[in-house]
Amino acid sequence: MNGRIALNVFVALVVAFLVLPIIAIVPAAFSAQSFIRLPPETWSFRWWGAFFNDPSWRLTLLASLKVAALTTLISVICGTAAALGVARSSPRGRALLTGLFLGPVVTPAIVLAVALYSMARATGLVSTVTALVIAHTMLALPFVVLNVGVSLDALDRRLPMAAAGLGASELHVFRTVTLPLIMPGVVGGAVFAFVTSFDEVVLSIFLAGPTVKTLPVRIWEEIRVEYTPVVAVGATLMLALALVAGSASRLVGRRRSGR
Amino acid sequence: MSAVQFLGISKSFGAVHALSATDLDIRTGEFLTLLGPSGSGKTTLLNICAGYLAPTTGRLVVGGRDVTALPPRQRNMGMVFQNYALFPHMSVAENVAYGLTVRRLTREEITKRVAEALHMTRLEGFGERAIRELSGGQQQRVALARAIVIQPDILLMDEPLGALDRQLRKEVQLEIRRLHSARPRTTIYVTHDQEEALVMSDRIAVMRAGRIVQIGSGVELYEQPVDTFIAKFLGESNLLEGAVGTVADGRATLAVAGFAQPFEGRAAAGLRAGGKASALLRPEAIRTEPGGLPARVVERVYLGELVAVRLALESGHELWSRRLASEWSGRDAVEVGWDASAISILPNASFES
Repeated sequence: MNGRIALNVFVALVVAFLVLPIIAIVPAAFSAQSFIRLPPETWSFRWWGAFFNDPSWRLTLLASLKVAALTTLISVICGTAAALGVARSSPRGRALLTGLFLGPVVTPAIVLAVALYSMARATGLVSTVTALVIAHTMLALPFVVLNVGVSLDALDRRLPMAAAGLGASELHVFRTVTLPLIMPGVVGGAVFAFVTSFDEVVLSIFLAGPTVKTLPVRIWEEIRVEYTPVVAVGATLMLALALVAGSASRLVGRRRSGR
Repeated sequence: MSAVQFLGISKSFGAVHALSATDLDIRTGEFLTLLGPSGSGKTTLLNICAGYLAPTTGRLVVGGRDVTALPPRQRNMGMVFQNYALFPHMSVAENVAYGLTVRRLTREEITKRVAEALHMTRLEGFGERAIRELSGGQQQRVALARAIVIQPDILLMDEPLGALDRQLRKEVQLEIRRLHSARPRTTIYVTHDQEEALVMSDRIAVMRAGRIVQIGSGVELYEQPVDTFIAKFLGESNLLEGAVGTVADGRATLAVAGFAQPFEGRAAAGLRAGGKASALLRPEAIRTEPGGLPARVVERVYLGELVAVRLALESGHELWSRRLASEWSGRDAVEVGWDASAISILPNASFES
């Protein structure tokens, strides 16, 4: 009994250690003061106004959404196609391809950043949406490949066979049988891809510039100059988006499996 | 007329020969069963017919047309898979309609034919159900409806009753036979269950180790097996090993140690005088016979109106008899004989499986 209580207390402490710093930033965004102090003494939406009235903040939020949306789109299309190819290859080919796809994720981000920066400079792509989307896609694509791959492994191979036997072309089989059945993996991969891009800092700091800047980069630049609650507003927005994306994928997953 | 012709079809997976060069002719409207233990090549043959596997050698001719190189979708065959492979994200009606939608029929035509197929498989009122709401037997019927609704040239079935319990299996066997006699459709059926094969088939091809060992009607296989493997695989059998005496005019004699008289019976092909072979006595041919061989009943198994008894002969051999229960009631010390015309002399199968 005592052991049980001790265990519960320990678990609570671990959860607090993991979660509290993240939630603590939220009240700061509703502070009326000019400095981040926890807990705030007076409350207001002052900094939310400051965030949305300042074009430099507003535009970075839009740029982040745009880069994340494009990254998600490209990652989902290419990643799903790649997962289909991996699923069809020989066991040795599968191991090799999976390793290759995971490469960008396990490479130290700073190494990747330096490499991409030199490429972007050579091609004149620094400070463009294109460069950010390419870089983010390298990190986001593996999540789609992995998620879709898991769904494909669970798919009964005889279902596409049965559809083909009934006269369906390969494209029709994919559209009507394979894709609907691997949809939970595709949606899961899309959410991972979106969050990965929206959240990315290291590559973005190297590739962003005066013409295009993502929200995390702007937050990072801001706190190097001054430490105002507008930073907390940006962080809270990012947190909210991640939560929305996460719950959306859970909902879709549940509805699919519930059928 | 041939509906399907396998011409020298073989299949190897690397160094493994799954199927030796096989010739097989299936007549239009015929119900042919490929019967054999697992690994005998029967599913390989079926998958080659459907186009899911490409043969290593040989040609497949369907309705006079060489289809060896055609993908499955261009073969117009209906396949019922083991465990059915129904589309879990579609309703019963959507599953059945799949092959019709692909063929771009009009909506009215699709609705009409789906309704007909559901009626034929006694699934009226189940159209809107989800697949997971159905029992195993109902899923089996959906799989059958989905395969026949496209009016396939050939219907292929891969152990379709394997997942059902015994009682349901018997019902569905009769159901499939009823559907087949109502509208004969060239059918290739794969099973390892001899009873299933006997109930449904016009002809049975018994396979072993990648070859067709014998092909014929159930009666032919039962009464004229080509070797001991077939004799054991179809029905119950008593096999007595011995040495072949004479072979002439389709008859042979076999000397079995412990028996004063040699056995004399129908000779299967491939017997050599002096070689080893076996005499086949079916259990129903072994009866009580006053003045016959003395024997002792060592086991009785009641099977309802029949009884199976294990008889120990003085020669040391044991024989099973299966007769009406009254014949073996009472005494344990008996005198037995057999119908001499029921004996076959068979070559021993090169190896058993």
